[in-house]
Amino acid sequence: MRQITYKIERFDGTRKFIQEYSLVHQPGKTILWGLIAIKDTMDPTLAFTAACRSAVCGACAVRVNGQAVLACETSLDTTLDRFGDVLTLAPLQNFSVIRDLVVDWEEKSERLAAVKTWLMPQDGFSAQTGCRQTGSDFKKINTQAGCILCGACASECSKLTANSADFLEPFTYSKVWKFVADTRDQAATERIKGILDKGLWKCLHCAECITKCPKGLAPGEDIARLRRFSLRMGHDDSSGARHALAFLQDIAETGRLNETKLSMRSIGVWGSIKKLPLALRLLRRGKLNPFHLPRKVAGHDQIQVILKAVKESEQA
Amino acid sequence: MKYAFFPGCVLEGAAKENYIATTKVANALGIELVEIPGWSCCGASHVQDVDELAITALNGRNLALAEAMGLPLLTVCNTCTLMLRKAKAQLDNGQKEKVNQILAKANLHYAGNSEVTHLLWVIAGDYGLEKLKKLVRRPLTGLKVAGYYGCHLLRPPAIMDFEDYANPQSLENLIVTLGAEPVDFSAKLQCCGFHATYPAENDVIRITGRTNQSAAQAGADCIVTPCPLCQISLDINQQEGLRAVEGSRELPVLHLAQLIGLALGFSVDDLGINMLVSGREQFAARLS
Repeated sequence: MRQITYKIERFDGTRKFIQEYSLVHQPGKTILWGLIAIKDTMDPTLAFTAACRSAVCGACAVRVNGQAVLACETSLDTTLDRFGDVLTLAPLQNFSVIRDLVVDWEEKSERLAAVKTWLMPQDGFSAQTGCRQTGSDFKKINTQAGCILCGACASECSKLTANSADFLEPFTYSKVWKFVADTRDQAATERIKGILDKGLWKCLHCAECITKCPKGLAPGEDIARLRRFSLRMGHDDSSGARHALAFLQDIAETGRLNETKLSMRSIGVWGSIKKLPLALRLLRRGKLNPFHLPRKVAGHDQIQVILKAVKESEQA
Repeated sequence: MKYAFFPGCVLEGAAKENYIATTKVANALGIELVEIPGWSCCGASHVQDVDELAITALNGRNLALAEAMGLPLLTVCNTCTLMLRKAKAQLDNGQKEKVNQILAKANLHYAGNSEVTHLLWVIAGDYGLEKLKKLVRRPLTGLKVAGYYGCHLLRPPAIMDFEDYANPQSLENLIVTLGAEPVDFSAKLQCCGFHATYPAENDVIRITGRTNQSAAQAGADCIVTPCPLCQISLDINQQEGLRAVEGSRELPVLHLAQLIGLALGFSVDDLGINMLVSGREQFAARLS
């Protein structure tokens, strides 16, 4: 009989420890099947959350060998093929752990509510007539409406792991975008202003959230949508916004990045002065040449024509 | 094997040693790299935050230039690979007609027969590690190497589909082929933070410290990465990173082509390894 092992990262309220459980393999099962089998037949003290078993409620997200997944929809056989017959299960990262695989959503819910992720209907709507929109308008936000708040994106987010004080959970940005793009909502500009100092430009672009969302959302792409919207509102006074704008400016001017100007454009004179020790380090190793000014690339005229045509296309 | 080479901006600037190493190694392997005349910046994972159509169209131009050469496009930068492949995916899935109308004004056309690949994928794939093994002149015996993939060669997998993002093996297999020993370390698949260097500087420095410490604690003599942006971030911020995590051991961070080049018999000077900021003296001593 083929034996498989679940090594589970447990927590009893004060102490973290790893406990191993051996199971007889059964084909065609899920990760959740194994957890339930352990709880039912070996160890009733093992704590985890799960409810719908249909990838709808979002309760059963856990990390398996460092990957956040929904336990109920993740094939055990596929996972064993990927990682071998010993699996390591851990609670979601970037959450407080209550016990074993159960994480605390209270703080996350408060952070979600702080940016008002609910519909603020336009004045024309009423309790009697409701808040109706066309099917095509709903399709624009259908993907984001599919978020089940499982927490997988928050678990894998590199920025939250580095520092959560000045950044929100990726699902929160997707929800904010959903309401900004919702034709029934009246608070788009207020919503954008509300996230400018809540990490809008601090995403690390690691694409973990896009990779791990079990429902096909792409929070990183929604952050890009929010950034574009904020720039159209004129909010370009942050190092992140200036940094992004500098790249497009450089492409327009020569076709390629000008590293010497990039620092000045992104963080200004004072910020660049503070970076002098780093600049000197690079100069000494021959990695920075302040006198290197990129010349226009061959076909720079094509780039200008393309950028002009893009502007015309966007205005049409 | 012949490729339209897209070096990317950073190989003209802060990672110019990777241009040196890549061209030498490609030549030694018999891989012909023809630089695309007039290539432009890929957008560096930033320009879509300003104007998505603009960067799709500009990368449509880059792809069209490679198509005109009749060659698959090869990069040595994770983010360039992602940006170009993302543009190709957008063009091939609904944007082609719209973008071709824009490109036509510059007398360009995107046909869709281009391919975008990365040096690691070529060597671990079509070129083959067995063929590489036959060219190894100086096996890196005893050298413990931490292979650091970098985000954009693996994620998002819908676009970067060379291997399993959760359990990639190409870098470890390549390290073994060169005679070195891959070390497993917890930060192997994590993000270096490079793209938020300005808006989240302190976070990036802490990430640098943790990543290098993770590799050092696993016993690595060096890190190797297929991405010059990861290399820059982990190398040039290392002093501050070590301070942030109270670490002490500097670790050299090599470009992929530099590690391959060492095994092919090139010297430290040949490959620009003397341009590394961190740990280069220790590394030179370790090699000798």
